[in-house]
Amino acid sequence: MFIKKYGDMIVGGFFMVLSAGMMIMAKMLPKSKIMDIGPDFMPMCIGIVTFALAAALAFLNVKNLKARKEEAEKMEKEDLDYKRMLISFILILIYVYLLQPVGFIVTTILYLPFQMYALAPDEKKTKKDIIQLAVTSVIFTFVVFFLFRYGFKIILPAGIFTINL
Amino acid sequence: MNALISLGNAYVRIFTPSSLLLMAAGVSVGIVFGSIPGLSASMAVALFLPLTFSMSPSMGMNMLVAVYIGGISGGLISAILLNMPGTASSIATCFDGYPMAQKGEAGKALGFGIVFSFLGSVFSFIILTFCAPLLANIALKFTPAENFGISFFALTMVAVLASGSMLKGVLAGMLGLIFSLVGMAPIDGTARFTFGSSSLMAGYDTLPTLIGIFAISEILITAESMGHGKMETIKMKPIKGFGFTWNEFVYQIPNAIRSALIGTGIGILPGIGGSTSGMLAYVTAKNMSKHPEEFGKGCPDGIVATETANNATIGGAMIPLLVLGIPGDGVTAMMLGGFLIHGLSAGPLLFVKNADVVYGIFAACMICITMMLLIEFFGIKVFVQLLKIPKHILMPLILVLCCVGAYATNNRIFDVQSILLFGLVGYLYHKFRLPTTPFVLCFLIGKMLETYLRRGIMQYKSFGAFFQRPIFDAFFFVAIGVVVWSVYKEYKMYLNKKAVKASEQS
Repeated sequence: MFIKKYGDMIVGGFFMVLSAGMMIMAKMLPKSKIMDIGPDFMPMCIGIVTFALAAALAFLNVKNLKARKEEAEKMEKEDLDYKRMLISFILILIYVYLLQPVGFIVTTILYLPFQMYALAPDEKKTKKDIIQLAVTSVIFTFVVFFLFRYGFKIILPAGIFTINL
Repeated sequence: MNALISLGNAYVRIFTPSSLLLMAAGVSVGIVFGSIPGLSASMAVALFLPLTFSMSPSMGMNMLVAVYIGGISGGLISAILLNMPGTASSIATCFDGYPMAQKGEAGKALGFGIVFSFLGSVFSFIILTFCAPLLANIALKFTPAENFGISFFALTMVAVLASGSMLKGVLAGMLGLIFSLVGMAPIDGTARFTFGSSSLMAGYDTLPTLIGIFAISEILITAESMGHGKMETIKMKPIKGFGFTWNEFVYQIPNAIRSALIGTGIGILPGIGGSTSGMLAYVTAKNMSKHPEEFGKGCPDGIVATETANNATIGGAMIPLLVLGIPGDGVTAMMLGGFLIHGLSAGPLLFVKNADVVYGIFAACMICITMMLLIEFFGIKVFVQLLKIPKHILMPLILVLCCVGAYATNNRIFDVQSILLFGLVGYLYHKFRLPTTPFVLCFLIGKMLETYLRRGIMQYKSFGAFFQRPIFDAFFFVAIGVVVWSVYKEYKMYLNKKAVKASEQS
């Protein structure tokens, strides 16, 4: 609901701040000595255009805010599961940052069942289902690892275990 | 004549058991991805990229083509059977496909869809095979000025793409341009917006960006809707052959030719993909039809128009990709990543340096669509079964494969971390109703645009001198015209909306 009402204003505001910051940083870039347009030219152009567009979007929305609010009220509430999405995001975050130090095999075997459990619909969270998820994860991890190790000759991050298979 | 000889050689090279097998696998996986809603053709290509590492460039590209073709045509299966478009290209297939399935004519609907997908592709591949080399010959003579003109033209297509809510669409693209600036500037190598991080010096890599935007964001979006949603069961009457008669087939031919032309034409324009061409062909078929009232109630004409057009887009979209290195839509953007992996640079030089790869792709296109026809015809029951794999198991597995794919591109863990960043961007875009295609297009073209502009100015000393090149002029002024026209159209739509609201209130 919040996004429907104020989404475009947030987008406009965000882009205004971003492009303003970019223009300031572009100002600090060194000018080219040999030609008219240096490395600062494109960022400056893009910054100006973005700022103008973002300002227009924000302005139009502030102007039409009342109409938009009415429109948003009429629409039915969406039934979205932010808990699942947030947990997934955190799990992915942990996964990509541990991948290098801990290694592909260990992280993936641990990550997969948690992620699957987090996504699973509520009626599919019995003990039997959990075992099934764990088994799938282990098999999948090893298949991918060996496929890449021997099939494609790509060595995935080894981490704490050095496997010399 | 040379073209035919090269094409013949390419066919000979392709007809080996291993390469046929790999392509069949590619087509099948593509169809599965295409038919499962939430898994797109771009995602399938993303997953297959690392798998092609150890193959020869030609073989690798052929496999990606196979996945692409399968992915686009697979969408019709779930569109007809479940009323859920598997890919954005087949949205309009739902309009008539599902009503036909409800009437028990699912088999006939699928038959029409499959056969005309095939014909649409054939049409566009013939155009691709014979036009692309000619265009590449012209493109070889381009100076940075012309290339700048074309890149600029491609960028302005974002405005057309975003019509309806143009401000937002163009802003969505601007973020792509901003991300493309990160790293070393072209020509002089000045570090920009790196914040002192050495990983950022090389900029964001194309592939992780695309994987993040298309695949990771899709996983987050699915996570959001996992709380509910059930799969429906599908009933199907057995059918003979493709389920329609010869007369019905002949009746559809004018419709199919028109749709194929629309599809190929739309495909050639950068940035506008199968979803637009499918819709456009559907609307055109409806307007031209003698019985427009039947559309939407289970009229085969609708399926024929959409499926012919969205498959014809494939061949069209490959033309700018191969000839200029400019992707036509999300999937071809991923294909561009495939070229990079194999150290090929898409563009006119590809036709000179790696003619074997180019003609290999042409040959692979033809073989893959034939495979698509056979696999979809015989395997329809299997695909229906595969639609039942629970998403909570599938999605995490895909995520792991995406991470591995991103890592394998450069062996840098930074790339894996950046897919999450772009996944978040894609997710927020979805939340704030911003389209992702402009982002991708601008991200890919941004670097080109700046490089060509600065190179051109080095060569001609001033921007004014660009205008002495007629091809640059043509593209530049068409681009300006496109912008003016879209702004005008947008303004008119805005006024219309206002008028409607005012009349409602009074």
